[in-house]
Amino acid sequence: MKPTGILFFPAFDWAISPTHPEREERLLYTRDQIFEEGIMDLPQIREYKPGLASLKDIARVHFCVPNVEAQITEAHLVSAGSALVMADAVMNGEVKNGFAIIRPPGHHAMTVAHGNRGFCNINNEAIMVEYLRQKHGTKRIAIVDTDVHHGDGTQEIFYHDPEVLFISFHQDGRTLYPGSGFMEEAGGPLAYGTTINIPLLPRTTDTGIHYVLDHLVMPILEEFKPDIIINSAGQDNHYSDPLANMAFSAQGYARLNETLAPDIAVLEGGYSVESALPYINMGIIMAMAGIDYSNLKEPDYSPSRLKEPAGNMERIYQIVDTQLKTFRRRKEVIEKNRRSGEMFKTSHESIFYDTDYISESQRNELRLCPTCGGFRIINSSARHPNGKNYNIACIQLPIYACRSCQEQARDAYTTMNSSDTYDLVYLQDRVKDEYRTTSTRTGEERVL
Amino acid sequence: MLMGIDVGGTFTDGVLYRAGKIVKSVKKPTEEDNLKNSLLQVLDELLAAEDKEQIQRIVLSTTLVTNSLATGRGEKTAMVLLPGYGLPHDSYELKGDTHFMKGAVDFRGREIEPLDKEEIRDLLDWIKDSGVKRIALAAKFANRNNVHELMLKKRIGEECDGVHVSISSEISGKLNFPRRAATTYFTAMTISEWNRFADQIEAALEHRGIKAEVHVLKADGGTMPLTASRTKPCETVFSGPAASTMGGSALTRDKLNSVVVDVGGTTTDLSLIIAGEPLYASKGAVIENQLTHVNSFAVRSIPLGGDSVITIQGVQSYRLGPAACFGGEQATVTDAFNIHLNLNLGEVSQSQSKLHAIAQELQLDTASLSARIVEEVSQRLLAEVNDMFRQWENEPAYKVWEVINQRKFTLDRVIGIGAAAPALVPALSGLMQVESFIHEYSPVANALGAAVVRPTLSVILHVDTQTKKYTLDPGGIIGTLEKTNNFQMDHARAMARQHLHTIGQELGMEDYTAEADFFLEEQFNMIRGWDRTGKLFEVGIQVSPGFVNEYEGVTI
Repeated sequence: MKPTGILFFPAFDWAISPTHPEREERLLYTRDQIFEEGIMDLPQIREYKPGLASLKDIARVHFCVPNVEAQITEAHLVSAGSALVMADAVMNGEVKNGFAIIRPPGHHAMTVAHGNRGFCNINNEAIMVEYLRQKHGTKRIAIVDTDVHHGDGTQEIFYHDPEVLFISFHQDGRTLYPGSGFMEEAGGPLAYGTTINIPLLPRTTDTGIHYVLDHLVMPILEEFKPDIIINSAGQDNHYSDPLANMAFSAQGYARLNETLAPDIAVLEGGYSVESALPYINMGIIMAMAGIDYSNLKEPDYSPSRLKEPAGNMERIYQIVDTQLKTFRRRKEVIEKNRRSGEMFKTSHESIFYDTDYISESQRNELRLCPTCGGFRIINSSARHPNGKNYNIACIQLPIYACRSCQEQARDAYTTMNSSDTYDLVYLQDRVKDEYRTTSTRTGEERVL
Repeated sequence: MLMGIDVGGTFTDGVLYRAGKIVKSVKKPTEEDNLKNSLLQVLDELLAAEDKEQIQRIVLSTTLVTNSLATGRGEKTAMVLLPGYGLPHDSYELKGDTHFMKGAVDFRGREIEPLDKEEIRDLLDWIKDSGVKRIALAAKFANRNNVHELMLKKRIGEECDGVHVSISSEISGKLNFPRRAATTYFTAMTISEWNRFADQIEAALEHRGIKAEVHVLKADGGTMPLTASRTKPCETVFSGPAASTMGGSALTRDKLNSVVVDVGGTTTDLSLIIAGEPLYASKGAVIENQLTHVNSFAVRSIPLGGDSVITIQGVQSYRLGPAACFGGEQATVTDAFNIHLNLNLGEVSQSQSKLHAIAQELQLDTASLSARIVEEVSQRLLAEVNDMFRQWENEPAYKVWEVINQRKFTLDRVIGIGAAAPALVPALSGLMQVESFIHEYSPVANALGAAVVRPTLSVILHVDTQTKKYTLDPGGIIGTLEKTNNFQMDHARAMARQHLHTIGQELGMEDYTAEADFFLEEQFNMIRGWDRTGKLFEVGIQVSPGFVNEYEGVTI
């Protein structure tokens, strides 16, 4: 039996600010617990050394403004790079599955990166997904976001991508940051049904989540038949988390990972640093490695205190019912959208970066391509904290783009380059694995 | 004058060192079932040369503990474990009787489950009934709070006559419960045999009228007084490879990156010296297939030595006697090197004829067979050395700067140690395209290493300003902080240094405590809500491996 890969990168020398939840102390007690248990010495576990992501790995996903270097610290390169190390280890068959216990986290980071949102600058899972497609030829990918906060960044990145199934369960957006993740958010016109949101009411327990897992998540995964399953593994659904109001236990998390059986799990949020994280991380490692976790519990765990409120289950039954339908009629909806007669589908977004206090406005255009998922043009403008205003154009060409989308996207880049409407024009050409940025002021082009 | 004796698997080596010279060296075959005898024979031969009054210090390195454990001679020991919650209990099972008990503390040293009175009763009854005399006791996070270990030790002491209890918090303060438990278990098993040996050595020295201080060599390349070793026999495992590594370092005395190749008859031991500092095994010494908390050099032992036999199938991993050129019956690796490199060792014609017989069967000439063997041996060693580099470069890292400043090893030199080193090592270094270092005293460098290394000592202090507690390794001492207001890293450092000095004084190594360096400094703000409620510090300070002040190199 192959071992489970573990990459533990607690970034003991990195924090957003000294008292911020994303601080040095976050994985300290997890370190103490997993080292004291000696779990890394077991034959079922193989520990990996962190790696560094390249600027190109990041440009494959994000349009960083004004450039990649401006949006990251070295810690981000290590965190994202470590997810890639884990991905390689799994894909090369060295391990049966892998868990990257890394920080800083990433699931609130969106395609365009003007700054930090919800403790995230760049999206570790998305960077890993595009890396898997590019380096390992992975086709169908499922991401299950188990963080208590809606994975709005990951959702936005793959919203128009029919090959990536994104399922997020989280505390209902009416009661928690980032205020999104409702059932109506089900994917773009050509990727309908591959975004599945499961907004759970506060105080949902292990009972509720396991019902959702068994009756909604697992059936959908079975029908979607992904080549790889990624757990975007937040740990803040725990009953002791200070930033949210759910009621999961460490046992619940372990069982979740046993059922879901992700190929790769990547740590996201979770800020109950002493009472939850050491035990949840142990639970996930044990479940992934096939080690009996029945002896695991939090010191203050009391099952009688964690009862599922009756109203929550009613709501869950409705969600399961609605979302199974959403998923199952996806092909039908997509075909209808494709035949709408429109060439492009336009939408407008405004995005707020809570950590950095930036307001971004976006205009999105998706080509309603008759054959593939279409390419996308994003116009984005935002004033950065340094007072500089950026107005940019981003052309995104997915890896599965058809010939006609490729031609149109590349032509659009050339055309926009020579106008002075935008400060920066980007072409994310995933077909060629080539990432271009032109500064229209200087005419300089950078290629990654 | 300094004396060093290394009782190895095949040979016992001894040297006397004074003022830049090796005054005398001795090499004798080791009597496997009487290590004390082998040791005293070499001692007496060294003494014959010199005035015993002149000897300031004797350092012994022996395989006694390793052998005792490997041959199952260790004393019957019962293991009592308090693993609390987490991994299933069966993942902690060692050989022999293991008792699991309730009682748990967490990573901050807070009790989360008390001991169970009835279970204690049952344990005491069981100990009395079974007649077991050795108990190894280990609790998870006992390094943060050993209240349960101390309580159980006290109860067993009060109620079970003549039962000796070793507790894990006194053995090591490092995280990793299974390694701490294993180290405690091996300590309990070997402590009486080691003490008998220490008694015999002390008696023998007294009988000879020797008043020099006596130290034993540890796996970490430093010495400790024989008296101090009585509670920590496991520290002496793998002192042989440590002696060789320190011997290589003693002969070169510079800051280069080297691989030390100790070529024995049956095996070759490889160790790394990085910028002048020997490399430690990051996970501790492996004893009887168990990782332990014994601090040891990263040594790789390969079943390939100067006397490894050559057959038509190639190089074998066993030894049947000396090389043909030195009167043996079989063609060996040394014979092949002898022919291929024109080394002119012993009776060259014997190397020639034994190899010729094998070459004929393979329809080769002797020269090409020898060349092929030399190539095979060199390639195997090279692959192992490269793998050691890679492993070192790929050690996990937990801080951003450690990842950004990627480790990269560039080898400067191969240091040859052991009797067969002059034959094998130059060819290996040629293949690696680095210089080789062979010294006239390479064959006894291990004994020289033992003779001239200084004591080592490492102290780790863990401070929690919120619970106002500190814990200290070694010794498992847990104390209360006098002052927690505005406690800073400087205070933690000063405290650790003070403890190192005190412990050093007790060990009679006050000459060296001033040379201690910090090797670990961690501090974390504890934030609850948006306020700081305390600080956690972990500070490690050590007198690292080095040489006694009297050592001034070796001139030939």
